[in-house]
Amino acid sequence: MDKPKKPSPVVNPWVKPFWEAAREGRLVYQRCRSCGTNIFYPRIACISCFSDDLEWVQSSGKGTVYSYTVVESNCPSAFVDDMPYVIAIVKLQEKGVQMLSNIVGCDPVDVRCDMPVEVVFEKLNDDITLPKFRPVALK
Amino acid sequence: MSNLKGKIAFVGIGEIPTGRYPEAGAISYAIESAKMAIRDAGINKEDIDYVLPTAALFSPAFNTELVTCRVVEELGLKNVKRNAQIFAGGSSSTCALEIAASLINSGGASTVLFVHADKLGTGVSLQGGIDLFSTAGISSEWEVPYGQHYSAIAALATNRYKYETGTTDEELASICVSNRKWAELNPNAFFRKPLTIEEVMASKMLSTPLRAKMSNMLFDGGAAFIVTSAERARDITDRPVYLLGEGGTVTHFVYSQEPDVSRFGWAKAGKMAFEMAGITPREIDVAEIYDSYPIYQLIGFEELGFAERGQGGKMFINGDTWPGGKIPCTTNGGMLSQGHTGAGGAVALMVETVRQLMGKAGDRQVKNARFALETATGGTYMDAQVTILGTEIP
Repeated sequence: MDKPKKPSPVVNPWVKPFWEAAREGRLVYQRCRSCGTNIFYPRIACISCFSDDLEWVQSSGKGTVYSYTVVESNCPSAFVDDMPYVIAIVKLQEKGVQMLSNIVGCDPVDVRCDMPVEVVFEKLNDDITLPKFRPVALK
Repeated sequence: MSNLKGKIAFVGIGEIPTGRYPEAGAISYAIESAKMAIRDAGINKEDIDYVLPTAALFSPAFNTELVTCRVVEELGLKNVKRNAQIFAGGSSSTCALEIAASLINSGGASTVLFVHADKLGTGVSLQGGIDLFSTAGISSEWEVPYGQHYSAIAALATNRYKYETGTTDEELASICVSNRKWAELNPNAFFRKPLTIEEVMASKMLSTPLRAKMSNMLFDGGAAFIVTSAERARDITDRPVYLLGEGGTVTHFVYSQEPDVSRFGWAKAGKMAFEMAGITPREIDVAEIYDSYPIYQLIGFEELGFAERGQGGKMFINGDTWPGGKIPCTTNGGMLSQGHTGAGGAVALMVETVRQLMGKAGDRQVKNARFALETATGGTYMDAQVTILGTEIP
């Protein structure tokens, strides 16, 4: 069986600025100009006040691992060659901004809950560059 | 709070054994289950005026047949006003029950048949099953590109929960063992051989710390139930099973947006259900907690008040949840042992809850069961649904 291609995210029109920024190495989220709520993932309207007056803001790219798992078997077929790989929920420093990603740049066994991480960017294809995270080096 | 307490009751249940039936069409599971439920209720089939089939996932064509009244025609029902599909993934049975209850209580329906049938054991290839369940309900925008799938989702909840509570992998494995002890007594369960913590811990690692024997497997199955007004139920049977309490909350669509993967919405949903029923967890005789993976059963068990947070695992190890234990839990064996049939996982659990309260649970009957609690959740644990049933109205 041919190995399926890596799934590329479905991109809705209002989400395009997110992926354009990621291609340029910036992690962005939305902020409501009416009520100040931080919004991630990108929405059509504010999740708090329904305003559609939203601005794009650059994230610090720094956060912590809320939870993680090392995928060792029975993964979706497009990811077989990546195993073992780490899936994690990362909470960014910016209030209310959290996302699923992969932890890269370390031995999977070293990942822990609440570990500090920072964003890195990995090109998936010509259109999509995925934000991923690596441990922040201990000083 | 809803005003449905004590207003409607279950009068009949039906279920085929969870298994692999390559020859038989899925419609036969629906018809067999529905027939059993009608006979169990002892009603005239023409009393049924509403049919609520839930969705089948293995085949869009078969699902369309369920939508377009095949069950009504196959059963030869002549007095059905409406056939409408109610589907909320794993929460389908609870959602259908609440909708049926409201219809009956308002006079819009008299006797409602809910039915589930799916063929995920033999109706799809193994790879097809994996592909379906690696993407169904998982965000194609924000999670699928990172290799997200259901084992990983359960593992993410497990790791955070372990980190916050200190619960061990052995305690998590003991939930699979507890469920198996019940399944050994359940002729409709697929996995009925005794299981040990050591066997669970020796099984293949999927996504750390989740192992193969901590994961459910997909099978063919079907189940049905019939509900009507409490008044009518008392004429039909001397043991109606009343709806006493219900609570629910939706917490997320994209899993990584869930505010607390070590708790979910159970406490809120449970509070609603207990307040409505007017009882406390101490009065519950049977806790039918949705599993699919051990972590969800453990979180639900604790958040609903059957153990202190972080202490539930010890109860699964020391036998409190086993047959003969002080709080019998998930007495059909759950999806981990009876088997996962799609939307049917929580249908089986609801049918089991009613079965225990009707006193029809055979070798695994919990003695003098008066009050039982049942839970359900759908998608990537997007919601928390709690139902309290009883043989009397407190």
